[in-house]
Amino acid sequence: MVMAEQLIDGRVIEACQQGDRDAFQLLFETYKDKVFSIAVYSSDGDRTIADDITQQIFLKLFTAIRQFRGDSEFTTWLYRLVVNACLDERRRRRRLLPWGEMVAMKKPGERKPQEKQYARLEIAEAVQAAIGELKPKFRLPILLKYIEGLSYDEIASVMGCSKGTVASRLNRGHSQLAKRLSHLNNPEVWGD
Amino acid sequence: MIRMFLRHVTKDISAYCHGELSSEESKQFAEHLIACAKCRTKFEEVKLGIKLAEQLPRLSAPDHLWSELEPLLAKQTTSAARPSVFWMWQSQVAAAAVLLLIASVGVFWIYKSSRAPQKPSWLVRRLDGAPKIGSEQISNNGRLAIGEWLETDGSSRAQIDVATIGNVDIEENSRVRLLQTRPDEHRLELVRGKMSARIWAPPRLFFVDTPSAVAADYGCAYTLEVKDDGGSVLHVTSGWVAMESKDRESIVPAGASCETRPGVGPGTAYYEDASPAFREALTKVDFNPDVAVRETALASVLDQARPRDTLTLWHLFRRSDGADRERLYDKLASFVPPPPGVTREGMLRFDEKMTSQWLDVLEPMWTGNGGGKMVPKKVADAYFRVRNGLSRRLKDMAPK
Repeated sequence: MVMAEQLIDGRVIEACQQGDRDAFQLLFETYKDKVFSIAVYSSDGDRTIADDITQQIFLKLFTAIRQFRGDSEFTTWLYRLVVNACLDERRRRRRLLPWGEMVAMKKPGERKPQEKQYARLEIAEAVQAAIGELKPKFRLPILLKYIEGLSYDEIASVMGCSKGTVASRLNRGHSQLAKRLSHLNNPEVWGD
Repeated sequence: MIRMFLRHVTKDISAYCHGELSSEESKQFAEHLIACAKCRTKFEEVKLGIKLAEQLPRLSAPDHLWSELEPLLAKQTTSAARPSVFWMWQSQVAAAAVLLLIASVGVFWIYKSSRAPQKPSWLVRRLDGAPKIGSEQISNNGRLAIGEWLETDGSSRAQIDVATIGNVDIEENSRVRLLQTRPDEHRLELVRGKMSARIWAPPRLFFVDTPSAVAADYGCAYTLEVKDDGGSVLHVTSGWVAMESKDRESIVPAGASCETRPGVGPGTAYYEDASPAFREALTKVDFNPDVAVRETALASVLDQARPRDTLTLWHLFRRSDGADRERLYDKLASFVPPPPGVTREGMLRFDEKMTSQWLDVLEPMWTGNGGGKMVPKKVADAYFRVRNGLSRRLKDMAPK
């Protein structure tokens, strides 16, 4: 929560609360990539769905920001909004889509032969696919940690759970990632 | 501490790697890990998971998003029940204030964006004199960020916290740089001077690059000195350290040393209580370019060797070929006869199974001295027993 986010201080939030479009655009520019990233990873890599989720989050933010009283950090409040929106969207899709289609969406891209030397980009793609296979309760702490750079305390606050639960879920998420991508546990793959 | 030592620590692995445990908790975690094979296996798994998760890129939102969002916002604004009071307040003054706000925010943003992102850093404490980070003298404490140099002169010393896994004393007239700090790798570069490291972490998390080799920590305490010619000397006081270069590797236990030379890499590990004649001959074997000199020196090493010097002989054996390999085998076997099933012929062709069997007998002889300063002896013994790949490295040391 540094750099551009430090620009979002009380004055900017107050201006947003009073309907200032420029202030809101500043807020949007500051957080759009982070919000979009979480939306993409939460929608199994589907960028069209992620576009919709991101728009919905900022629309909701624009109206809900009037209720923001500063009881918590603004970012905690925002990420809570993001997490809830992603979970809501997932629930909605689960109701709409037949099971087979959900599973099919979880496997974007083609599997590459294990013998192939993975470039970093390919590793990143494999990780993105594997992230999509994690349950939301393991996936979201990972996204908040690695995309948003939040501390365990901050993740706990966003997710409304204890720091110990965050540690435990991250642990299980990391383990599951490692198991799913164990073929990448090879120095040659990483060019080390 | 006892409770932590007995209790498995698998649930704390991510928190440890992310620096979310206190210094004391980290130390206890590492001590348990060194002794517990089960937790160590899990640690390797979680560490891989972390390494993978770190590859997750932040994506860029598409440019069209704002243009699509803006009309929706306008629609919402017009339907909003409460008119904005902002524009009701002397519009011209308000507009000017907004412009000023946006402009100042913009300038600040550009200023911040132009600066490098905040880098991870380690705490540095002044021990004596006036050590410098970059060109800045540190008074009592400072921070050493990735890429920054810490320099001491003839009257200054400093101590660096290696994340949460240990600390390093930087002695006088030394120059070090922080190259990397992340959950699966902490790396310093020592280009001049001397440092003393005390690390309570699982093997191969802490590395020190020198001009002639890399010191890889195996949960230990050691001193490392880089001389003016780029060569270095390692003294291990607890645990093990591997000195590595592209072509050579020496595994150095407590009580032993290893010298390195630029362009050659690490020499052979030797116990510091070896005779001067043994050490002098070993230096020639390791670094003299003249084959004849090396031949004579090897004969001297074999003559001078004690049973305890099987550490050195094993390293030389694994690097040798032809007649030298046979001489070294015979000397080793005279000190420590191979166990049943291990034959001379098999060992001369480095049969993997036989090599492991003999190493099982040899290795305990190298680990009985000098340990226990940083970790409890029980922990150190357990570590040596489980070895965690160390035997494999001793077995697989690349031939010269």
